Amino acid sequence: MRSASAKRNGLTEELIDEGIDHYRESTAFTEAEKAALEYSELMQFSPEKIDHAFYDRLRKHFTEAEIVELGAFIGFNVGYHTFFRTLDFYPMFSPDGRLVSQEESARIYGTRPVSHLHGALARAVAEAGQQSEEGAG
Amino acid sequence: MMSIIEPIDRDVAVGQGLGDILGICEELGVSDELFPRILGHAPGYAEAICDAMYQAHALGNVDHKLKEIIRIQLARTAHDPYFANLRSKRAIGAGLDEDRIDAGSGDFENDPQFSAAEKWALRYSYLMYRQPEKIDQAFYDEGKEHFTEAQIMELGGMIALHYGMQVFMRTMQAGPMRGPQS
Repeated sequence: MRSASAKRNGLTEELIDEGIDHYRESTAFTEAEKAALEYSELMQFSPEKIDHAFYDRLRKHFTEAEIVELGAFIGFNVGYHTFFRTLDFYPMFSPDGRLVSQEESARIYGTRPVSHLHGALARAVAEAGQQSEEGAG
Repeated sequence: MMSIIEPIDRDVAVGQGLGDILGICEELGVSDELFPRILGHAPGYAEAICDAMYQAHALGNVDHKLKEIIRIQLARTAHDPYFANLRSKRAIGAGLDEDRIDAGSGDFENDPQFSAAEKWALRYSYLMYRQPEKIDQAFYDEGKEHFTEAQIMELGGMIALHYGMQVFMRTMQAGPMRGPQS
């Protein structure tokens, strides 16, 4: 699932992948953005590393209101995505914007969350092509 | 110092429209005022999140005492001393005690004081952030023998929201504003 608003403002799949996999060494992000991405990564995987020193680093880039906004947003997502995973449901729309069944969505996106650049987009186009052929036949 | 991010002043929080939320804090005890006053740096977040947490924990159709045991079990999983040490005045008033709270974080599967429904709910929260891969179709089918789908969503939503905020509060290195039973 992707934010339509973020995509309209220029967010691409390449930048999403960069922000997840290579943000530390990336030149695509500012120091503030890197600190926010690290905050998110640590909250999920190593919350014990988020200490006074880390918050002092965040304060160089963000106000306390922005830090609280980020922290609560990250915590909310840490909590909910694990719950959603157990419900075994998939986006209603394919990456190319078609309304698809849950079965087709599962085929397109796969059962493990990975980059859209690693198959989901190609599978969505292939599924659409197959359905078009079946419709024509 | 109370926490890494200092809470906003109480008067400022009231001025931002958080008076009702602070009233619930006083009445229920979970959370105390510290949490909404930290979130109060972003007032819209404070109101929405605190209200959702109250709805999930104190309202609905699942026994509040059971949800209080689950909430504390989750906070211990999250290593969050703030939420783990808060107690719901309503649950305590209805008979929940520390022995039963501890039992819910212990060997609850073999504890005869819990019903089969309560054991399923405690297993649901226990597994959610330890072994979520074990919460599958069969697990939910077992849950439906004890709870309606609405109750299961109520439990799942409460677990997700409270755990998420416990993870955040852990990083604040905060504790409750008051000692036990004060």
